[in-house]
Amino acid sequence: MQFLSRSLLWLVLLFLLGPFVVIVAAGFSAGDTLTFPPQGWSLRWYIKIFTIPEFQHSFVLSVWVGVGATLLALVLGVPVAYAIARYRLPFGETIRTLVSAPLIVPGIIIGLALLRYVVFTLNAPVEITLLLGHTTLLIPYAVRVVSASLDNLRSDIEEAAVLLGRSRLGAFFAVVMPNIRGAILAAFVLSFITSFNQVPVSLFLSGPGVSMLPTQMLWYMEYTYDPSIAALSALLALGAMLMVFLTERLLGLSRYM
Amino acid sequence: MFEKRSTGVLLTLPALVFLLVLFVLPVMVLLTRSLALPEGWGLGNFASFFSSELNRTIFWRTLRLAATVTAACVVLGYITAFGVLSYTKERRGMLTGFVILPLMISPVARTYAWIVVLGRTGFLNAVLTSLGIIDSPLRLLFTETAVFIGLVQLFLPLMVLPLLSALENLPRDVIPAAQLLGASRLMVLFKVILPLTREGLVVGGTLVFTGSVTAYITPAILGGSKVMMLETLLYQRINVANDLTGAAVIAVILVITTLAANKLLRRLATPRQRQEAR
Repeated sequence: MQFLSRSLLWLVLLFLLGPFVVIVAAGFSAGDTLTFPPQGWSLRWYIKIFTIPEFQHSFVLSVWVGVGATLLALVLGVPVAYAIARYRLPFGETIRTLVSAPLIVPGIIIGLALLRYVVFTLNAPVEITLLLGHTTLLIPYAVRVVSASLDNLRSDIEEAAVLLGRSRLGAFFAVVMPNIRGAILAAFVLSFITSFNQVPVSLFLSGPGVSMLPTQMLWYMEYTYDPSIAALSALLALGAMLMVFLTERLLGLSRYM
Repeated sequence: MFEKRSTGVLLTLPALVFLLVLFVLPVMVLLTRSLALPEGWGLGNFASFFSSELNRTIFWRTLRLAATVTAACVVLGYITAFGVLSYTKERRGMLTGFVILPLMISPVARTYAWIVVLGRTGFLNAVLTSLGIIDSPLRLLFTETAVFIGLVQLFLPLMVLPLLSALENLPRDVIPAAQLLGASRLMVLFKVILPLTREGLVVGGTLVFTGSVTAYITPAILGGSKVMMLETLLYQRINVANDLTGAAVIAVILVITTLAANKLLRRLATPRQRQEAR
């Protein structure tokens, strides 16, 4: 029985992870079309993806939007998490629902609504709208991760700091911040990865020369059937694994998921 | 708990204003657009959406795929969770990591991998041909099966994680106790394990079902124009037909379906427990 359940587990893991082995290998192909097993081996596609300007631009934009939206979501979300944990809020339930609502509404609808009523109507630049749209999406993560950490932190040490003469804000930075630093870093990593991989919100928010990396990949693969997307996918997968591995080692990321 | 309410409210204010202006308001305006008719307001746009056979096909296909993907993830989820739990505590962390890992990787990359596996010149066709099972490559891409496989791989981790924590919290001796009292393996599964892990099942099931209903990337890459789902149809309404009202109708259908699934599944989790408590 144990042998059977372990073999089945490894079959499922093969199904979950096997395709990555296949794309990494397919990216090393020497041929012009996507085949597996590849026709000969070369690094040409792994090199080529760095020379395609659309990929360069969208990679840079994706990183900027990811970092910017993550920071903005933390600046907006950490105070909410603190207020939920420490104050008796009027309409507490409504506030909680509102800050988690962006997870429930399909991203494509948020993207389309922003395109129509922020880009078209208010004439906002697409890059700024992408940043704001991604922030909307990341606020729930920031609130949730930091809330979980604050729940485990006793509030009387802050009160002690206040009694000893610190201001409420001073007590927050002196006592609370050092204790939730790990959660904030974990929220940062999770939010950045979420933003970087996000497609539906970004789908409609693009313009001439402006698109996010995953959207750009979707367009590219519609017209070309060469191994460059396989190579790029493999690199992105490796990058994500590296990031998760490092944060797990440094912070124990899985504690916050 | 601090007494000054105004400070608490003040702390939430920036985020609330941000979300109201940039999320609630635009989304509401878009959704109400579905009710706008040339002569006033009404449900006419929904009637005309469902009068098209293609739209009905896509609507039912989306629900059907979401249901079958959820069912497959439940079965595979229990298999995976039991497999992980059959290892010692030290090994479980690493195995859980293997399950979480795909969640961190771009869904575009994850879905694209299936093109390499299922394509005409892909891995599966190469294996089957070389084994002499088939003579000419099978057409696997751009079928509902391909979308199904892609969705199951994409969402399976979201089912495994809640099931794993539910099973880990299961009191250690309930299974031996049931067996001692003469329950067969199947009875243990249906009378003991399923009821006791219902909450994890509902959390995972909601994530997988709503995720599949609102999937864009998988049908876009593996389904193409042949196997459309609601979100790919919505995208096409805007980018090909520039039909904002039609897109708003699909948006309302998506929101209602997700909310209904959330409510329904949550209800499924609670009433039985109340019966048991009596």
